[in-house]
Amino acid sequence: MIKKRIIFALLYQDGYFHLSRNFKLQKVGDVNWLINNFRFGSTSNYIDELICLLVKKEPTIEDKKAFIKDVNKLREKIFIPITLGGGIRNLKDASDYFNNGADKISLNTSIFQKNLTREISNIYGEQSISIMIDYLKNENLEEQIFSNCGTKLENNLFKFFNRINEFNYGEIILNSIEQDGTGNGLDLNVIKKMPKNLKKKPFLLMGGAGKPEHIVEGLKNNFVSGVITANLFNFLGEGLEESRKMSILNKINLADFSAKIIL
Amino acid sequence: MKFKRVGIIDYGAGNLGSIYNSMQYLNIETKVLNTPSNLDQFSHLILPGVGSFGKLAENLSRKNWPQNIKDFVRKGKNLLGICVGMQLLFESSEESKNSKGLSLIKGNFKLFDASFNLPIPHMGFNEVDHSNTEIWKGIKNKSPFYFIHSFKVKNTEDKTILSKTFYGEEFISFVEKENIFGSQFHPEKSHLVGLKLLKNFLEINN
Repeated sequence: MIKKRIIFALLYQDGYFHLSRNFKLQKVGDVNWLINNFRFGSTSNYIDELICLLVKKEPTIEDKKAFIKDVNKLREKIFIPITLGGGIRNLKDASDYFNNGADKISLNTSIFQKNLTREISNIYGEQSISIMIDYLKNENLEEQIFSNCGTKLENNLFKFFNRINEFNYGEIILNSIEQDGTGNGLDLNVIKKMPKNLKKKPFLLMGGAGKPEHIVEGLKNNFVSGVITANLFNFLGEGLEESRKMSILNKINLADFSAKIIL
Repeated sequence: MKFKRVGIIDYGAGNLGSIYNSMQYLNIETKVLNTPSNLDQFSHLILPGVGSFGKLAENLSRKNWPQNIKDFVRKGKNLLGICVGMQLLFESSEESKNSKGLSLIKGNFKLFDASFNLPIPHMGFNEVDHSNTEIWKGIKNKSPFYFIHSFKVKNTEDKTILSKTFYGEEFISFVEKENIFGSQFHPEKSHLVGLKLLKNFLEINN
C-alpha cells in the first residue's frame, strides 16, 4: 500500500537557504554550504521528497534564474522526487521549473487563477500541481489565507475548500504561519475543521515540526499523507534519520530505504 | 561487451534532467535527443514522461518518433518507458480518449477506481512485487519505488512479464515484453534502488 511521506523543504532567497519563523527569514548558508556541511546527499536518503521554494515577494527573472541554478547544483546527485515553487504566475514559469528537475510545482500566490491550474494540468497533468496554502488565524481565531510571502489573499480558509474542486491539482499543502519555525508542533486542529466532502487527494501538513515526535504525531493522523519540515537545524543531520526510525517503530507505513544496494 | 550508449527522448515530457543525471551518476554515455535521427548509434532508448497522455502522444507524433521507436525495438534494441512514457507503450488511455499510444503492448489505461476511497493520484512510494527477472537482479522484492500517476493498466497480453503493485487493487507497475520495458514508477526518483534498476536495464544486451 502507498507509503506516507516525510518531506524536507528548503527556503531560498538571494543565493542563500533560510530558516523561517512565522515567515521571518534568517539567512543560513549557500548551496555549497548545504552540500558540504550537511552532507545533503546522504541526508536525502531519509526523506521521501524534497521541496525547494523561492521565497521572495514578486521575484524577478534573475531571481528565478539564480534559484534554478542552485537547485540544479543541489539535485545533481540526489535521486528523489522534487517539487519547485515560488513566483509562478504563468505557464512559462511553471514550465521553467518542470524543465529544471521539478516533478511537481507548488502554487501559492496563483492558487486562485483557475485557468492557470487548468493550463498547467493540460500539459503536465493534475498530479504535478501542489496547492500550497499559507494560513494564519485572525483576532477572531478564523483561519485566513495568505500568499506572496505573507499577503492576505482570502478571508476564510474553509470557504476556499468548499470551492477547491473548481481547480486542477494533485495535492494540498497546508502551511501554518503561526506554527512556522516555532518547533511547537504541527497544527492538527485545522484538519478537524476541514469540510467532510473534500475530494480524496493527498493532504500534507507543514509548519511547526521541531522534533521527530511531531513528525510521528502528524503522520499518525489518518487524514495526513505527509509531513513537511523546513527546519534546517533541527532536522538536517540526524533529525530526519531519527524521525524515520521513530515513525517505523510507531508502525507508520513509511518506505524502507535501508536495503543495501550495490551499484 | 557490446557498445552501450543511451538516448533520452526529449519531446517536452519534463524531468529529463533527473534521468540524465542518473545516467551521469552511472557513468553511461548519454545523449538527449530532440529528433529521431541516427538512432543506430544507441543501444538503449529511454522514453520519459511527465504530462498528460494526449499531449505527449501528440508531441511524439509531431516529431515522427513512433515509427522510429518501432524500428529501433524491431532491431532488438532496448527501450524503457517511464511513467507516462510507459503508458505510451500501450494502446490508449482514458485520460485522452482521442489519442493513440505506440501500441507496442496491448492494453488500455483507466483512472484508478474512486470507490476504493483512496486519494487519486496515486502518489508517493509504494512496493513493487517484482518478477525477479534479469532487470530486477540485486533488488529485494517489494522494494519501494516512487509513483505519481492517476491512470493504471490491469490487463495486457500473454507475452508480457509483469510486476505488480497494490493500491486498492492490483495494477501493473512494471512490464517487460522481450526488449521493451515499461516502468509506471520513476526509477530516477527512487533512491539507490531505482538507480540499480536503471543500471540493470543498461546491462541488458540483446
